[in-house]
This record gives sequence, structure tokens and C-alpha cells, in this order.
Amino acid sequence: MSAKENHEGMQEIDITKLNLQQLSQLKQRLEQELSMYQNSLQSLKVAQTRYQNSKESIEKITPECNGKEILVPLTGSIYVPGKIADANSVIIDIGTGYYVQKDLDSAKEYMKRRVQFVTEQMEKIQAMGQEKSSIRDAVMEVMDGKIQQEIGLQKAALAKAAAAGKA
Amino acid sequence: MAEELHKKLQQEIENFQTLQKQYQKTLTVRQQLGGQLFENETVKSELDLVKKDQEVFKLIGPVLIKQDNEEALQNVNKRMEYIKGELKRIDDTITDMEKKQDSQRDVLNKLQQQYQKAQIGAAQKG
Repeated sequence: MSAKENHEGMQEIDITKLNLQQLSQLKQRLEQELSMYQNSLQSLKVAQTRYQNSKESIEKITPECNGKEILVPLTGSIYVPGKIADANSVIIDIGTGYYVQKDLDSAKEYMKRRVQFVTEQMEKIQAMGQEKSSIRDAVMEVMDGKIQQEIGLQKAALAKAAAAGKA
Repeated sequence: MAEELHKKLQQEIENFQTLQKQYQKTLTVRQQLGGQLFENETVKSELDLVKKDQEVFKLIGPVLIKQDNEEALQNVNKRMEYIKGELKRIDDTITDMEKKQDSQRDVLNKLQQQYQKAQIGAAQKG
């Protein structure tokens, strides 16, 4: 069992054939992966809400907004009054420092695309997490069995030794 | 004899732990790189969708600078290329480290067995 095979989950491994140490390694790795999935899910959820909020904000902008007054945040706590110069387009952060000016419709499309993408990823991760946790349960069951077996063997050995000592 | 073995065992355990720490660190770096590559890929696919009349800006410090779409695409491509190279390099390091960890684990196992044997031997003598 090399780390790679089991990391990719491509190789079929009969977990009943592994020894206790290997099993606990496997369990540890599975647990790490599971907590990673949990974290990813959380960040995805945050991203989803952000895109959703942006989309809703865009929907509030109409061509009638042109020239209307707006309070512009300079910092988190200071605002100055301003006028909307162009209500027909917004500038969107598309990542790695790049921004694209888009008209309202394509901006909405963009947000929709992002929300959809993030939702898809969340579904994927959820499915993967379920799979991993069922594998983990199986591993734990096998481990339990092995431990019981080991204890039985030890007890038998002790009894034998005690019997031999008496004789 | 047992004392010596014990010291050696501890030494090897320490070695193993440092190896594991290094391995974890490399894994985090790999993850970051993977994330960066992914972000660049999404940016590229967005830039591909940009129409002629839409403008592209780049954030430099606190200001947005207007940039040519072509230039931006080239930039992103270059960056992706670089990240891919880095990823490959780090993947090699990771497989290397996995091998090292496995061999160190073997060494540890052997030592542990030796140590246990020595202890049992001592107990029987006593």
C-alpha cells in the first residue's frame, strides 16, 4: 500500500488484509480529508453568498439610476456623496487582480455563472465527503474487529504462560 | 545495550517527525499552488468571454489600469505556465518525501522490534 495509490483511491485495497498500523494510518488520512472537505464546503458557502449578494445588488441598478446621488464608501466608516455617472455598466473583479467592465446583463450572467459553478462544486464535495466517511466507517469497523482479535490472542497467550508457570 | 537502543530509537523518532513536518509544509504549498492555478484558469476563461467593447483593467496597488485584453490573456497564460512548472517540481519533491518517510518508517519498525526484544530479554533475565 503506497501512499499514492490510496490517496487517489484508484487502487482497490482489501482493508481486511491490512494490519492495525496501516489501518490507523488510513483512518487518519481519511479523517484529514474529511475535515478538509468540511473547510472547503464552508468557504464555498461564503463565496456563494457573496456572489448571490453581488447579483442582487446588480439587479437594483437600472438605467434610471443615471445621475442619482449615492454615498460612496471611502473606508469602512467614511462616506462621501457622489453621483452615478454610468448606470449601464459595472466593473467586476474576475480574480488575480483583473477587472472587466460589463454591461448589466452580462454582469448578471457572470454572477449567475459563478453561483452555479460554486453550487456544483459544493455538490461534488458533499458526494465525495459522504463516500469518504462511509469508507472511514468501514475501516473503523475492521479496526475494531482486529483489536478484539488481538486482545483475544493476548489473553490466550497470557493464560498459556500462567498455566506453564504453574506447571 | 537497552539504553543505547532507546537513545537511538528516540533519535530516529525525532528524524521521522521532522520528515513529517516538512512533508506537511510541502503539501500546504502544493495546495496553494493548485488554488492559484485554478484561479488563473477561471480568469482566463472569463477573459476569453470578454467582448471587444468591454474593457479590461488590472489592479496595480490601489488603482485600476486599463489594459489590453490580449495582453491580459498573455499575462495569465504566462503565469499559468509558471505555476504548472512549480507544481511539477513540488510533486516530485512530494513523491521523494513519501519515499523517505516510508524508509524511515521501516527503520523505526526494525528498531522498535529490536528494542522490544531487548526489553523482553532483560525482563526474562531479571
